[in-house]
Amino acid sequence: MSLVTDAEGGSPLEGEGQPLGGSYAVKLEVFEGPLDLLLHLIRLNEVDVIDIPIADIASQYVEYLALMRELNLDVAGEYLLMAATLAWIKSRMILPPSEEDEEDEGIDPRAELVARLLEYQRFKEAAGDLGEMSLLDRDVYAARHPDLEATPESERELAVDLVRLVEAFRQVLTRAELEGHTHEVEAETVTVRERMIAIMDRLAEAPQIEFELIFAERPSRAVLVTTFLALLELVRLSAVRVYQGMDDDSVPEGPIHLRRADGIDDDWHQRVANIM
Amino acid sequence: MDDRQQQQTKRKKIVEALILAAPEPITAQKLAQIVPHLKPAAAKALVAELKKEYDEQDRAFEVWEVAGGYQIRTRPEYAGYLRQLQVERPLRLSRAALETLAVVAYKQPVTRAEIEHVRGVDVGATVRSLVDRQLIRIAGHREVPGRPMLYATTRRFLEVFGLTRLEDLPTLRDIEEFLPPPEEAPAAPGEVPGELH
Repeated sequence: MSLVTDAEGGSPLEGEGQPLGGSYAVKLEVFEGPLDLLLHLIRLNEVDVIDIPIADIASQYVEYLALMRELNLDVAGEYLLMAATLAWIKSRMILPPSEEDEEDEGIDPRAELVARLLEYQRFKEAAGDLGEMSLLDRDVYAARHPDLEATPESERELAVDLVRLVEAFRQVLTRAELEGHTHEVEAETVTVRERMIAIMDRLAEAPQIEFELIFAERPSRAVLVTTFLALLELVRLSAVRVYQGMDDDSVPEGPIHLRRADGIDDDWHQRVANIM
Repeated sequence: MDDRQQQQTKRKKIVEALILAAPEPITAQKLAQIVPHLKPAAAKALVAELKKEYDEQDRAFEVWEVAGGYQIRTRPEYAGYLRQLQVERPLRLSRAALETLAVVAYKQPVTRAEIEHVRGVDVGATVRSLVDRQLIRIAGHREVPGRPMLYATTRRFLEVFGLTRLEDLPTLRDIEEFLPPPEEAPAAPGEVPGELH
């Protein structure tokens, strides 16, 4: 989110005039969100982040939002939420602590905001450091022969064997049990064939899917088992291949995923029908 | 030059050719696989010799150790000239992209909600674009209700930022560095993390 927009891209707030109108771009100093804007105001006022004069900063913050609207810039929801937070802190600072606040007494209402600002500042600076590094294809260029090919992703991954697949499925079952989804409410009649078709349909939409996602929708134990059997059958028919990434030492890492086997077009429906 | 030395010089040149033309950083193991009678440790030593030679000769390029391998890259001072040759747009990372990348790099694996908590803004589009550019990847799920996806940096991230491994990232600054010196500081309000001492 930033305060930069152009007249075509920004969505004008309803009922507002269009003081700038037309199609020319409006560019303001860029803020990466409400925390960034607050840090800017704190710097501008030369105040301490741990002792923010909240009334001053809050009113400057609100003025800034008003300016953004006047310029017809899209004020993202997170800016408004922060304005509300500032107003709340301001009220807490002004009002004497009420009875139910007794136990909170002594805790500065600004504390949580200060912690977030400091944490954000760390990463803002880290981002600056990253941006200053010598980046490939921006600051430094490598001699790379165009006809030599990088190791294809497929050589960075392993075909998953049955043992690991069963182990992964066991984890799916364990988790489903922990989440209490496995008691059978009614006998569901799902066939292996239906689940095979469901898996292939998903693989028609995306080139690959994560192993665990095929178990996501209907997690009753019977359906989970049927789905797993369907997957095994698809693997046996060489319609689906199962992969897992590996690290530099060829140790499997990351999620297991499924991919449609090469050369499997839309005739798999026929093959499934023939076999079952 | 005796026979052994000649052999060594020849191997060094093969290593140089391989690093130069390899389409991605090439590891010492890979060099050892290709060059006859070369062990990974010896490959490393040859690369170190090449590095030294380039430095001594003040060449326009140098050997980088990135993402676990070696790559020959031009020195940064020639970027301005090289950009004029560049067919594709040079790599551009917005502040939003860099901030998001910083959170992922230092806190990985992280969920989108955790990134948003730090940055205070919605990061959906930025995360998607970083995944598309293969700088971050989905690295599983957090085992909490909803099983949100976890993001981590990729090998490509190391390559682009010229890092051998994640530990080579610049040290994340401590919160104390942003606070006034202890003597002048008023008592820290409430639960500010990083107590003054």
